[in-house]
Amino acid sequence: MAKARIKVPEVVKRGAVFEVRLLIRHPMETGFRYNNVGQKIPKNIVHTVRCVYNGAEVFHAELFPGIAANPYFSFFTTAEASGELECVWTDDTGVTMSERVALTVSE
Amino acid sequence: MIYARPNRLSRRRALVGLLGCLGCLLVPLRKARSADALPEKLAPLIRQATGGVMPQVGRVTLTLPALAESGHSVRLRVRVESPMTPQAHVRQIHVFSEKNPRPVIARFSLGPRAGRAEVHTRIRLAGTQQVVAVAVMNDGTAWMASAEVVVTAAACVEGS
Amino acid sequence: MPPYLTRRQFFSLAGSLPFVRPLTGRARANTQARAVVVGGGFGGATCAKYLRLADPSLEVTLVTPQPQFITCPFSNAALVGLRSLASLTYTYQRLREGYGVQIAHAQAQEIDPTTRRLTLSDDTTLTYDKLVLSPGVELRWDAIEGYDAEASTVFPHAWQAGSQTLLLRRQLEAVQDGGLVVVSAPETPYRCPPGPYERASLIAHYLRTHKPRSKVLLLDAKDSFTKDGLFLAAWERLYPGLLEWVPGAQGGRVTQVDTRTGIVHTEFDEYKPAVANIIAPQRAAAIARAGGLDAGTGWCPVYGGTFESRIHPNIHIIGDAAIASPMPKSAFSANTQAKVCAAAIVALLRGEPVAPPALMNTCYSLVAPDYGISISAVYAVENDTIQVVPGSSGTSPLDAPGTTRTLEAAYARSWYANITADTFG
Repeated sequence: MAKARIKVPEVVKRGAVFEVRLLIRHPMETGFRYNNVGQKIPKNIVHTVRCVYNGAEVFHAELFPGIAANPYFSFFTTAEASGELECVWTDDTGVTMSERVALTVSE
Repeated sequence: MIYARPNRLSRRRALVGLLGCLGCLLVPLRKARSADALPEKLAPLIRQATGGVMPQVGRVTLTLPALAESGHSVRLRVRVESPMTPQAHVRQIHVFSEKNPRPVIARFSLGPRAGRAEVHTRIRLAGTQQVVAVAVMNDGTAWMASAEVVVTAAACVEGS
Repeated sequence: MPPYLTRRQFFSLAGSLPFVRPLTGRARANTQARAVVVGGGFGGATCAKYLRLADPSLEVTLVTPQPQFITCPFSNAALVGLRSLASLTYTYQRLREGYGVQIAHAQAQEIDPTTRRLTLSDDTTLTYDKLVLSPGVELRWDAIEGYDAEASTVFPHAWQAGSQTLLLRRQLEAVQDGGLVVVSAPETPYRCPPGPYERASLIAHYLRTHKPRSKVLLLDAKDSFTKDGLFLAAWERLYPGLLEWVPGAQGGRVTQVDTRTGIVHTEFDEYKPAVANIIAPQRAAAIARAGGLDAGTGWCPVYGGTFESRIHPNIHIIGDAAIASPMPKSAFSANTQAKVCAAAIVALLRGEPVAPPALMNTCYSLVAPDYGISISAVYAVENDTIQVVPGSSGTSPLDAPGTTRTLEAAYARSWYANITADTFG
């Protein structure tokens, strides 16, 4: 199963504002839960998410345990040129992951 | 017209009817809160987020379900009125919870390139409470909105 | 001043009033009072009957638009031809003739809580000492883009048993072998929490039997659901490759439908199924939201011990429309709440103390015709709030022989025979 999904429109007109949807598979452990033998499950959440469109940052989020498991985001940005949108996220264990999607911009 | 039969409750005049029946010994659902009163403990956090300014109410639309059966995943949308130009745009959107053990839920950074100041996400809520969204603009002003979500216990779920 | 109050204005208004509850008691053993019950389902019919049983001097009118009632329980079995709809259809003849309940076949339209009057669609007005609302749910046509009453004639919800059940059944019968059937499950709260999963199971059973190359895709707004461990294990065993569950965390929430192109949109994907069963989000039926009875939330807050509205005195709300968490919105819950409510109403009318109630529920689900699973709990009321009695809640065992599942399917059938006899017989 993919670690994340990104959805953008198939084609966007240059200058148009479009929606980006991002879904990251992550338990977002709050640090307040216990496992079935009574031990505290250590906090491990995705604390930072960045999305970069052709090298420029278009989305930046700092997250806390109040974000639900499998974090979902939708945000908007403006179409400039065909290329790539890449989202990068880091969790408390220091693991950084990314997912990218191609973007087609029409005149 | 609306007040012609002030005691009548109907789908059409539901809440107006409610006004008319104040004499009928209403039992309040819970302690009333003035529309724009902030949960006290959030005030310092909000000031910290805005650089000391207390936000004005307005320009921010915060959409959450009025009732959620589970607080594990509640859909949230924040939309800020802004032209999103280099001259006038939203810089940050902060989301706060009144009753979660960690009151700060998320901080989103935006710029003019967003074109539209709107974010959606899913949040956790530890019980019935207010959620507050604060937008900090590039001119240093800050705006906010709050919404109350009733969280009922999970039903028909194992271990409940 | 705006014509409507916002939720916040409502709360501040409500809060400015003295915190008092009305005196509703009448110190008479024979109350000779008048109760009106709205809704002819498991909650309403049971309540009307038990009000008459508890106090034969009470005049009880049951308001329900339809001359007969088709039950949602076992309508998933009817959907795939395991039962007829006729076998799920009940009239109010026994309530009228055997228990002296008066039946008004009309729609409840307006409530006047000050003069305690209820106006019906045929322009008659009923006065009441106590009003019970058990009108069930309505689909929210604003929740999924493109899904409204008209769209439901193409993509049925079949969440009210009857013509919608038959429509979905015809569509399933018309599916070619290899066709895709989409079932969408909403966010909570909604009527019958395990219902969408039982339905997907029985559709999968039907397809496996008649069109084995077909597929059921269960698109879910949620990441977990009631009895999910039991359902998922059974699906893996009975319907491998035939039934797939897409949770919200994998983008399963249906956001938009287009009946013209036949496309169902989720947050991340598009499907063009042969059949789309859209179980849309729900709220309390309109009459239960009149006069702010739902405090703007779509569901009605009640006191757990009496099911009296927390907004208006002398109005009691039971069944799916009420916020009775942790009790699920089920026929069993409505039936047990109806009895508690009837006993409380008679006690209140007599000025007697209300006995602390014991509430219970069991939800049976069929994963296949002879494969039953269940979840049960007992509930008590503390400080007007319903709570699960510790240790009383449980499900069928995860590891159990086939005979256990066969027995539970038989229990489900006998539960149905019993509850319909209790409600309508």
